[in-house]
Amino acid sequence: MNTLNNFFTKRLIIVAVTVIGLILSGSISANKGLEIAKLSDKNNEGFGDSSSSMTMELVSKKGDVVTRKLRFKRLEVPEDGDKSISVFESPQDVRGVAILSYAHKSKADDQWLYLPALKRVKRIASKNKSGPFLGSEFTFEDFSFAEVEKYDYTYIKEELIQGKEFFVIERIPLDPYSGYTKQVVWIDKENYTTHKIHHFDRKSFHLKTQTFSDYKQYLGFFWQPHRVEMKNHQNGKGSILKFDEVSFNNGLTDSDFSQNSLKRSR
Amino acid sequence: MIIRSRKLLIFLSGFFLLPIDAEYIGEFSIEDRYFLNDSKFGQSSNHSSFTFSPEIFLDLQEEGIFHFKAKLRNDQEDKERNLIDIQEFYFIDLGDAREIKYGISKEFWGVTETGHRVDIINQTDSSESFDGEDKLGQPMIKISMEKDWGLLDVYALLGFRERTYAGQDGRLRFPLVVDTDNPKYESTAKNKRTDFAIRWSHYFDNFEVALSHFSGTSREPRFIPSQKKVLGLIPYYETIDQTGIEALYLIGSLALKLEAISRSGQEDRFSAVTVGFEYTKIGIADSRLDLGWLFEINHDDRIYSSPSVLGTRLTFNDNYDSQILSGISYNEKSAEFGLFVEASRRLGSCCMISIESVYFDDSDEENGEKKLLESFKDDDFLRVEFTYYFGE
Repeated sequence: MNTLNNFFTKRLIIVAVTVIGLILSGSISANKGLEIAKLSDKNNEGFGDSSSSMTMELVSKKGDVVTRKLRFKRLEVPEDGDKSISVFESPQDVRGVAILSYAHKSKADDQWLYLPALKRVKRIASKNKSGPFLGSEFTFEDFSFAEVEKYDYTYIKEELIQGKEFFVIERIPLDPYSGYTKQVVWIDKENYTTHKIHHFDRKSFHLKTQTFSDYKQYLGFFWQPHRVEMKNHQNGKGSILKFDEVSFNNGLTDSDFSQNSLKRSR
Repeated sequence: MIIRSRKLLIFLSGFFLLPIDAEYIGEFSIEDRYFLNDSKFGQSSNHSSFTFSPEIFLDLQEEGIFHFKAKLRNDQEDKERNLIDIQEFYFIDLGDAREIKYGISKEFWGVTETGHRVDIINQTDSSESFDGEDKLGQPMIKISMEKDWGLLDVYALLGFRERTYAGQDGRLRFPLVVDTDNPKYESTAKNKRTDFAIRWSHYFDNFEVALSHFSGTSREPRFIPSQKKVLGLIPYYETIDQTGIEALYLIGSLALKLEAISRSGQEDRFSAVTVGFEYTKIGIADSRLDLGWLFEINHDDRIYSSPSVLGTRLTFNDNYDSQILSGISYNEKSAEFGLFVEASRRLGSCCMISIESVYFDDSDEENGEKKLLESFKDDDFLRVEFTYYFGE
């Protein structure tokens, strides 16, 4: 009886230890993932505001290229998500079309679309964020900023790519309207910049790969990629975003991100 | 007065300093409308027109903005459809959380798609198209303040523009031609009256709301039979007061919308309402295609029955911004329906093509009620428009 009891107790202890160990290692990798994400996000803080000109190239499966141009302004909002405004410059039929976006940490983002032909400001559902952005392989979601609070993290491993060391973490979007079920992110160990993201769709299929390159440092601490590429593995198409001019601390204020400022885009 | 002349100086100097950094752009379009049935009054079945819209835009950063846009339209058949209009010619003086707009401009109010009840600042260019979305430039001074409590716009509207109507030789017209050369006004100032308007709008999370009031010359005339040799309709523009409300509530991808007005000054006070919803499904059947649905119900105290409209928008999300809009309107009391389909896409990076087809119910079914679309029943048409965009 005693031996039997002992046997069960032993087993129980082994199981319990294993379970606790698993939970602990799980939470350690979650914590480590979160820590890396936080450090990487710190890189995105303290810039005040930014203003840039962008060129977006849409590359078809056959290699044909269509170009779009837009202006982009962003304002850092302490304790909440950033405010941003995107104004299209070409193709000419969409010139002056603009999107105003207020990102939030704990609730859905607020978004407005301005249609200059009708002079109309239209509130749009930010829940539509999984839709393609201007016919590109980017979605609206890829353009909003990855606030740390919007994901669950798991640390995966470290990886050496072409002599550079990277942290590999996995993040799961908490937003039920996200178009992705999982993202695997490669973060540079040296300066915590994002190098690559694998996007997994709702069927957990590796749908797209996003790469960030041509990083330049501004304000002595802020790393800005000048080339962001999105490759869709399902349809063979790609989109390349090039930042032509970037400036920081331009003295932008809330009134540069208001309904009236949206109307002033044309 | 001193302040005003200083602004005027900035405005004019802005205009002369233009070459510095201004954008010179514009569009040129050719349109052909082919009417499927013979006309009632001997008008042609094929109507072509062209439109030229040059535009200058100058962003003076903190100083303000200068914008000029003209619209010139020439119609081969209907001279009433010829147009020379300054759509925009204004200077915006930028201040801290406030701006003042001086000049000619267009301003849109509203949230719904099929009936624009509240929108009243600009006159409608109804000879351009019958959806009421094409407008004429309005001279104004607008003061706009944007604070924590929302956005407040106050307008002084300097003078009045008459509504355009299809002429004797035009299609989509009433049996009697509107005599646009002899309008009548209630106000002794006629089309020189200064009108006033105010609108407050704000948003609270997923709820958007706006309240507005307009006091001035009605953009929408009533008609008096003409006593001239030829039988016609004289547009009569009365002085009205109109209070409006707009509301939009977002629940996920669903937007619930309401627009309502109450107007006095044209016989009895009356109300008009448009209420409905818009829903967009992103990525139908795991594709790149988006499908939007729209349903709106209209009501107007003056008309014994108004149509309900069901519309769809299919967006392809391709390199050419291809889309197909379609809709069906149904008027229960008059048992009439209308159909439209409009497809458009970009051609290269310079151009755009759009093909539209509109069908009006021409059933002769008698239900004892008068038909509202009676005068348009032979005007089903197919429209092709090609637009070329120029400038950098």
